[in-house]
Amino acid sequence: MGRDAILKSIKNNKPTLIPSPEINLESFEEEIDVLTAFKEKVALVGGTIIELDSVKNIDTKIKSLYPNISKIISCVDESQLGTILISEKTDPHKLESIELAIVKGELGVAENGAVWISENDFPIRVLPFITNDLTLILNKKNICSNLHEAYKLIGKRKRTFGLFISGPSKTADIEQCLVIGAQGAMSLTILLIDN
Amino acid sequence: MNHAKKAAIFNKNEAKVNWHDKALWYVREKRDNAAHDVKGWEYLREVASGIKANVLSDLDTYLIEFESNATKNGIKVHWASDAEEHNKIVHKVLETHNAKKVVKSKSMLTEECHLNPYLESKGIEVVDTDLGEYIVQIAKETPSHIVLPAIHKTKEEVDALFQEHLGTTPSNGNPEYLTNEARKHLRNKFLEADVAITGVNFAVAETGGIVVCTNEGNADMGAHLAPVHIACMGIEKIIPKEEHLGVFLRLLARSATGQPITTYSSHFNKPSEGSELHIIIVDNGRTEQLSREDFRSSLHCIRCGACMNTCPIYRRSGGHSYDATIPGPIGSILSPGKDLTKHSSLPFASTLCGSCSNVCPVKINIHEQLYKWRQLIVKDVKQPVVKKTVLKIVGKVLRNRTLYNLAGKSARFMLKYAPRFMVYSKLNAWGKARELPEIKNENFDTWYKINRKNNG
Repeated sequence: MGRDAILKSIKNNKPTLIPSPEINLESFEEEIDVLTAFKEKVALVGGTIIELDSVKNIDTKIKSLYPNISKIISCVDESQLGTILISEKTDPHKLESIELAIVKGELGVAENGAVWISENDFPIRVLPFITNDLTLILNKKNICSNLHEAYKLIGKRKRTFGLFISGPSKTADIEQCLVIGAQGAMSLTILLIDN
Repeated sequence: MNHAKKAAIFNKNEAKVNWHDKALWYVREKRDNAAHDVKGWEYLREVASGIKANVLSDLDTYLIEFESNATKNGIKVHWASDAEEHNKIVHKVLETHNAKKVVKSKSMLTEECHLNPYLESKGIEVVDTDLGEYIVQIAKETPSHIVLPAIHKTKEEVDALFQEHLGTTPSNGNPEYLTNEARKHLRNKFLEADVAITGVNFAVAETGGIVVCTNEGNADMGAHLAPVHIACMGIEKIIPKEEHLGVFLRLLARSATGQPITTYSSHFNKPSEGSELHIIIVDNGRTEQLSREDFRSSLHCIRCGACMNTCPIYRRSGGHSYDATIPGPIGSILSPGKDLTKHSSLPFASTLCGSCSNVCPVKINIHEQLYKWRQLIVKDVKQPVVKKTVLKIVGKVLRNRTLYNLAGKSARFMLKYAPRFMVYSKLNAWGKARELPEIKNENFDTWYKINRKNNG
């Protein structure tokens, strides 16, 4: 039973070694405008994308989007809207009633509208899921064309926890009707900044 | 009960079957659009298939590499030869933490191991948190599709279930309202949970990390709130390198639902401060399937469900007619490997049209394997008398030209003039649910000879 039995059985049953294929990434390269493609895909997956001229406009924009909320966690230096401070030591259960989380997006992926965010960008792992609304701040320069490129770019990170997030939480489990807002964040807004 | 009999039950409600058929075909069409949007899609499938073939040929090495890297990162790795051992390991972890409440996100492996009834028998509350799985759980059913677990349920049925279990007000099956009610209910379950159990989509040997994909965010809500996270994976979930995720994540959601990627693709490499991450690596018949050269590549499967959505039989017979954890074409080549007698009707639940193989993102030759299972089954498993006798006679007739011509003539005569109860008898499986076409007086051979003469 267990480990040794499984490994032994694999050894006895596996075929002769088949080499791992060389991947020719050039086959996937396309002449596309990554920014345009990214914007299209974010819309497709149910996210909202807003381009800002200056980092200074971030807070004005967020205030106009969410005029009536008070429980905000900001994990970025560019926004001063945070009303609740958290650290690695915060009990994740205490985030239950958070209305908005503002988190840095590290890398956008044009082919699927996903944004890579990692534990470096938010001290409590459950934050981007448990918050009612999620806003990501992404620099226009940090958009790559596809996932192959994305994995190269995040390859050197310190690996703890990270994810590609593409749009708000959704489900189609009731008669295939798409409903936004299943168990995770009800909305995803990406503020694209240029600097 | 065999597949055909269970399919007949599903087919009693014609309107529902038609809906089921169309809904799944629509998902198939979305898959096509998503695939056409990717340059080099066919090459991507080839690469994915090649990576999986390499993995299976060196699986023990990769598993050891994975274990070593995961352990270095503070993850606790367990191994289970079968379902029973898997369930015991889960229970032991729960016991250590005195856990009574478990939230689970979608994992076909835990379905396969019948983990829920096992834990419930030990007095533990298990709540399935994927909306579709939650629906089938409160309905006391099993998922009928691996990606769309409640595709067999109408919204009115869900409405009735929620009224009974969540005390919702009747809404004529309003999906927004029902989803939101489930959200509120499940949120409390997440907050109260002692342990979260998830599946694993990919386990990376090179880093010792796992990737879990969901659209709802339920796996993450569970895993990051509970102090203990148990992730259960079959041995075949291993991929060698992190860069290979680029290949598989491009294929998975597009093949499954036509989305360019799932909403959340979460990469777990280390447990968070103060919490535990356990990974259970499970065999449960997979190494036996690995030994079967003809069926080995069925272990390439990444559980996207594309073969189900495209299958003309699955769409019209429903997932429950397969009476197996994994239904549809892929299930029909996996299940006979586990219990040939119980699942002997499944490889026949196919037209062998090959559509499943055409859409499979990891290029499993599903329809060819179905055909191979059929050949083994007719040798090893007792076949129905009618089928056996008829096939024996047909074999003789096809071997003999005179007999064949005579049979054709008499069949045409009989079909035209014999009374209906004789023609549409048990011997005529084709006449069960359909009218036979109009019977011509001559066969093709005669027709050809005459027309050939006329046309010089």
